[in-house]
Amino acid sequence: MPVAETKIVSARFDDPDAKEIDAYERSGGYRAARKAVRMDPAEIAAEVKASNLRGRGGAGFPTGVKWGFVPKDADTVYLVVNADESEPGTFKDRHILFWDPHLLIEGMICASRALRVKNAYIYMRGEMMREYQVVQRALDQAYAKGYLGRRIFGSDMDLDITIYRGAGAYICGEETALLSSLEGGRGWPRLKPPFPAVKGLFGKPTVVNNVETIANCGFIVEHGGAAFAALGTERSGGTRLLSVCGHVERPGVYEVTMQTTGRELIEEVCGGIRGGRKVKGVIPGGVSMPVLLPDELDVPFEFDALQRDERIREVEVHPGRKFDLGGGRTLRTMAGSGGVVVMDETTDMTRALWRILHFFHDESCGQCTPCREGTGWLVSVAKRIAFGAGKPGDVELLADIADGIAGNTICALGDAAAWPTLAFLTKYRDEFQAKIPKGRAAVQAPATAAGANV
Amino acid sequence: MTALKLSDEIEQKIAQMWPRFPEDRVRKVLCLPVLYMASQQFGRVDEAVIRLVAERLELPPAHVRGVATFYTMIETGEVGEFHLQICTNIGCMLEGAYDVLEHCKKRLSIEKNHGTSPDGKVTVSEVECLAACGFGPVAQIAQKGKPDIPLYFEKLDEARMDQIIDALCEGRVPVELGV
Ligand SMILES: Cc1cc2nc3c(=O)[nH]c(=O)nc-3n(C[C@H](O)[C@H](O)[C@H](O)COP(=O)(O)O)c2cc1C
Ligand code: SF4
Ligand code: FES
Repeated sequence: MPVAETKIVSARFDDPDAKEIDAYERSGGYRAARKAVRMDPAEIAAEVKASNLRGRGGAGFPTGVKWGFVPKDADTVYLVVNADESEPGTFKDRHILFWDPHLLIEGMICASRALRVKNAYIYMRGEMMREYQVVQRALDQAYAKGYLGRRIFGSDMDLDITIYRGAGAYICGEETALLSSLEGGRGWPRLKPPFPAVKGLFGKPTVVNNVETIANCGFIVEHGGAAFAALGTERSGGTRLLSVCGHVERPGVYEVTMQTTGRELIEEVCGGIRGGRKVKGVIPGGVSMPVLLPDELDVPFEFDALQRDERIREVEVHPGRKFDLGGGRTLRTMAGSGGVVVMDETTDMTRALWRILHFFHDESCGQCTPCREGTGWLVSVAKRIAFGAGKPGDVELLADIADGIAGNTICALGDAAAWPTLAFLTKYRDEFQAKIPKGRAAVQAPATAAGANV
Repeated sequence: MTALKLSDEIEQKIAQMWPRFPEDRVRKVLCLPVLYMASQQFGRVDEAVIRLVAERLELPPAHVRGVATFYTMIETGEVGEFHLQICTNIGCMLEGAYDVLEHCKKRLSIEKNHGTSPDGKVTVSEVECLAACGFGPVAQIAQKGKPDIPLYFEKLDEARMDQIIDALCEGRVPVELGV
């Protein structure tokens, strides 16, 4: 069964009443929070560790392990929920925020108990104006009932939750940039280490977790880490929320089992490709993740499988030369943010890559030279190829620029631009080559087409 | 010239957020929310607004300026009365966003992917992913000097875009078309 039978984070989607605290409680809500506030913090942390919950924001890092990095003797610890969702192709967190705001609040109460947090923040994308109103209203309801504020649920625990709104900058989704922004400055990433769990917001230990990650915490407290782990695979507990866009019959947000393959997702969950056409490529986790070919879709769309399954080709810099992730590790793809982009056989892959690179260049914060200059260079070469004015050697040039960015920047935005470039070139090399005019045609003026005028 | 003054809503916001942050950090923290609200109150953030915010929060104007120019939702340039922001990123592009954008530009006599109609009424911008990729092409609308319009305009095609532009040209936001 690809669609999860046990729905943890999407159970209340499409139910407009669930936003109201009374309806939320009638459907079992705030049971976990009531339990958590009377539990020993270490006990909650142990359950989360046992649950095999992995971060849903992009890196898939085990949440319990991250929490374990917070120094035990810290006087102040902050929890920051990353609700900046802006990785192209990703629209799952926005669904949780809009349909089930109390689920997030309840998860935050559980996490705050485990981490001894008294002030927690939700860093919310500025463009999410509808969601801001919904979540703020839910917070007001929770305060009114005594579920937030002083001595919550009559326990010894105090907790304030505050929304902080971003104002249009993709880079603020990167956790250290997010903290710079939340401190009231420009959203500039910082070098790690120190990691936020040790030195984060206002210099204090800070846990930054994605919306969906935290939304799972209530279930773990209520049913135990083992029950959550049992739903998943060996090293990834629970279910996964995927947002699917592009050329499928039914795009949308779906909670699926960790075992669900790309093909099952497209065929069974999303009703197949529109108009009976064939699939050409699938990006499994937001545009920064390497694209998959049709014959690579029988792999579960889960953290470990997407990284390691040998049915997925390794990304190359040039034919025969594998891209080195560091320490000799190679790159296949990754689960990333759960944003699945499905492209059918009519898609021009050179246009797709150009648009992705246009995005990363636009959003580079400009602090590191390889990223600032490199993304600019990438987009100009990708653009001339896409619009029919490429030059001989441009494919090799693109690959070399990407290889020069990867691994040489402060934050992962540099890799996020380099990886898809190399993956598109590895897998659709002939299409890129074919787009480059040969001989005399090469010196003619570029065609103008919709979108070229940027 | 009357002196600029931050609105009561902004003062309320400052009062609400103040106790939620460490006393020695809160002025800087408030810089972004106050700038955003000021951008709505005054229609854009120019040098006078930067100085006003800097003075109110006791921050160096250079810091406030740096923040104002970093975030795209803080309007520092001239925009029309309505700002129509169309996502052309991958999900929306696959659904025809560039055709919709070109259609808008043509109807409003705008040349570039960011520009204002000759009558100064509507600014059109190509924007990045709005986290609604399955329902594209998607757009958002802002009205100068007005609070947030908490709606997305989804599944746009030329016909739906025409309805939106007609409404904007009549001076109103077609809220009935949004979700
Ligand atoms: C360029 C960039 C953008 C990111 N954007 C987001 C985002 O919008 N939302 C998110 O949750 N994580 C995002 N991340 C990942 C965060 O840095 C961080 O790993 C995550 O919030 C941790 O939460 P998790 O462990 O629960 O996944 C981004 C990372 C990078 C490098
Ligand atoms: S990699 Fe790019 S976005 Fe990240 S810090 Fe460097 S310049 Fe900024
Ligand atoms: S690509 Fe347009 S909303 Fe995501």
